[in-house]
Amino acid sequence: MAAGCTFFGGYPITPSSGIAEQMVRSLPGAGGVFVQMEDEIASLAAVIGASLAGSKAMTATSGPGFSLMQEHIGYAAMAEVPCVIVNVMRGGPSTGLPTSPSQGDVMQARWGTHGDHPAIVLAPSSVGEVYDLTVKAFNLAERFRTPVIVLYDEIVGHTRESVTLSPSVEVVDRVAPDAGLQNFLPKAAQANGVPPMSGFGDGYRFHVTGLAHDERGFPTEDAEVAGDLITRLHTKVEDHADEITDVETFMMDDADIAIFAIGIVGRSAREAVGQARAAGAKVGLIRPVTLWPFPSAEVAAVAEQVDTLIVAEMNLGQMIGEVERAAGQRTHIVSHLRADGEPITPSALLDVIESSSRSEEGS
Amino acid sequence: MGRSEIRIAGAGGQGVVTAGRILAEAAILCGRQATHSQVYGPQSRGGASRSDIVIATEQIGFPLADRVDLLIVLSGEAYEKYEPELGDDSRLIVDSGCTTDSSNNTTALFPVVETARSISGGLLATGVVALGVLQRFTEVVEADALRSAVARRVPPKHRDMNLKALEAGMDLVCVAS
Amino acid sequence: MNDVKKYLREWAMPHVLCPGCAHGIVLRSFLEAVDQLQLAQDQVAMVAGIGCSSRLAGYADFCTLHGTHGRAPAFATGLKLARPELDVVVVTGDGDGLAIGGNHLIHAARRNIDITVLLLNNSIYGMTGGQVAPTSPEGTVASTTPSGNTEPPFDPCQLLLGAGASYVARVLAATPTEMTKVMADAILHPGFAFIEVVADCPEYFGRYNKAGGGAEMLTQLAGRDTGVAVQLADKRFVNHIPSSETAPGLQTGVLRRETRPVFSGVRGGGDHGA
Repeated sequence: MAAGCTFFGGYPITPSSGIAEQMVRSLPGAGGVFVQMEDEIASLAAVIGASLAGSKAMTATSGPGFSLMQEHIGYAAMAEVPCVIVNVMRGGPSTGLPTSPSQGDVMQARWGTHGDHPAIVLAPSSVGEVYDLTVKAFNLAERFRTPVIVLYDEIVGHTRESVTLSPSVEVVDRVAPDAGLQNFLPKAAQANGVPPMSGFGDGYRFHVTGLAHDERGFPTEDAEVAGDLITRLHTKVEDHADEITDVETFMMDDADIAIFAIGIVGRSAREAVGQARAAGAKVGLIRPVTLWPFPSAEVAAVAEQVDTLIVAEMNLGQMIGEVERAAGQRTHIVSHLRADGEPITPSALLDVIESSSRSEEGS
Repeated sequence: MGRSEIRIAGAGGQGVVTAGRILAEAAILCGRQATHSQVYGPQSRGGASRSDIVIATEQIGFPLADRVDLLIVLSGEAYEKYEPELGDDSRLIVDSGCTTDSSNNTTALFPVVETARSISGGLLATGVVALGVLQRFTEVVEADALRSAVARRVPPKHRDMNLKALEAGMDLVCVAS
Repeated sequence: MNDVKKYLREWAMPHVLCPGCAHGIVLRSFLEAVDQLQLAQDQVAMVAGIGCSSRLAGYADFCTLHGTHGRAPAFATGLKLARPELDVVVVTGDGDGLAIGGNHLIHAARRNIDITVLLLNNSIYGMTGGQVAPTSPEGTVASTTPSGNTEPPFDPCQLLLGAGASYVARVLAATPTEMTKVMADAILHPGFAFIEVVADCPEYFGRYNKAGGGAEMLTQLAGRDTGVAVQLADKRFVNHIPSSETAPGLQTGVLRRETRPVFSGVRGGGDHGA
């Protein structure tokens, strides 16, 4: 709401329902609208409808609901409709472990919808960061006219802790068109690759479609026009990846072992790094705050520095492939996985650090 | 590092989650950092329920208990599940209605559930009675901070009853020691 | 008849519809209704799903949203809640609105959100090549029922009456004047208004079931118009399948019009859903 959100459409699913329950209490008094839709497909459709009407809009869900939303994540990417989707990850597949944490949707967040599309995914690890990154998600969605996903797990979703909220936050709004009514081309991009956006009812009359379309927003089967569109949808994000990427590093200066982890596992790793440092190990942490676009350059730099890179994730190995791709052959990669609904604890990571140190000394 | 990890475990309906939230808030009122996380099953009533509270003097990394310093168990099921995970120097408070392994020397028994029942006529104040016991037992938070947190976190119509439950919990320790 | 060209995107022509398809007649009737009501052109939002009927939105010069298959009522709900001053009209078909999108349609009706839904029922999937639809009568030959459909069809109006729609009407594409009148009436209705437009698909339904071309199919439909006076009857109109029922009729006109609280989401000012 600090980012200007005035519309929430959602469908109940554990462990994300708390967000809807809070939004229905907070939004109406601030001039916003809340609606509980008939399913997650409809939730994101309503959010897209509201965004096209000029509102900043969001929804929140979890694993199975996130799968149902994939249809419209693709639509929002193609039609370039800003919106924010929160996915509080729980154990899967299917109904899985609905009340337990997981990081099983990190690839679904990137590749869940059909076709080639850009992805911006933010991965907070604390209550305070959920606030900051939800604001950032709205800003990125508005700036790039694209869906943005805020991805965290059940523990972050259900933890209560003290937070310090900035008294004011930077808010980015979509760029309004300045063409006259006759000359308006709804999908003509500016130099940054993003077309200005008008709302329904603002005076401009235009067509919005999920079909490949030209600058008039009208369907086309022209290969060149379609190819240009798909390419632009990517480059408008990828060309600015360095402005989106955000990585937290901790005690990396002289580290020869590093842990790569996101979200709650990043916090676990931070604790483990602190304890291992106290025992004399040269360990550090790299925690992507933006998971996608993937911070390949940052991971490559860490891989260049350390002898061992521990990839810890609460799934059966989804991010490790991406880390390996970025790291190349620069370092020895150790995978630490857990997918039983229980978190990866600092003690478990300390054990991994210790065995990594021993094998380093032995080599 | 000044980090205390407290776990309150019991059955759904005992107010375990609320108690955890109250304790974390009391710690924050005392000027410390605190996190509260809950682990729960699909049931709102019955089933296992757990609160993890981490209290520290500096920023908290991992917000769940990793090496529990103090475990409070309020049901037999919670005892069976969490007692074996305790380290050698951890302390344990058990409701005296639970069947326990008598060889464990660090165990302190208090009639938490019975006391809560005598005050509220049911289970809901169990967690708050446990907080009273915990305060006297460990002094991890100040009594006044706990009183304010209870008053803030429970519905107004149950405030007096819960404050009474808190004092009764504290008194259990005085009587026992 | 008024000149409705100003409501058309002539630059978007030629259109994708087949010869003999009545969807163009339906669009014209809708534009006539908009013109009669003198709706502000930039305040009309047409929301469509996927299918032949849904393509109509692209040719109408309003704010037009060509969404995803079956989801138009959900897009329209968000749009209307976020900007209540818009006149929101959903254009959908029998496959779009009653199969993949059936859930969204009945919930929009239940909520009584103030939108108008035009469901163009041609009893077949046209855009994807003539597959059987939830309104295809038993016996219908379609590309996925080469030996004849064995499933009973939905009656769209009965379904929406059951879902609590506050305005339900049926019109025939063969009677455009009546269609315009009902559409204007439905747009003015405060709350959820549903119109089933019984239309043809000569390209697939007509060809596969030997029902003739567009003109023949529409004439046949018009001949079965019973008005509102007759009891709703089974809509079997496939010639070569003998019906155990007596001659089927098509009850047309406004089947329900009632006033009940209009849905506006949970918003400030105390108008929760009222």
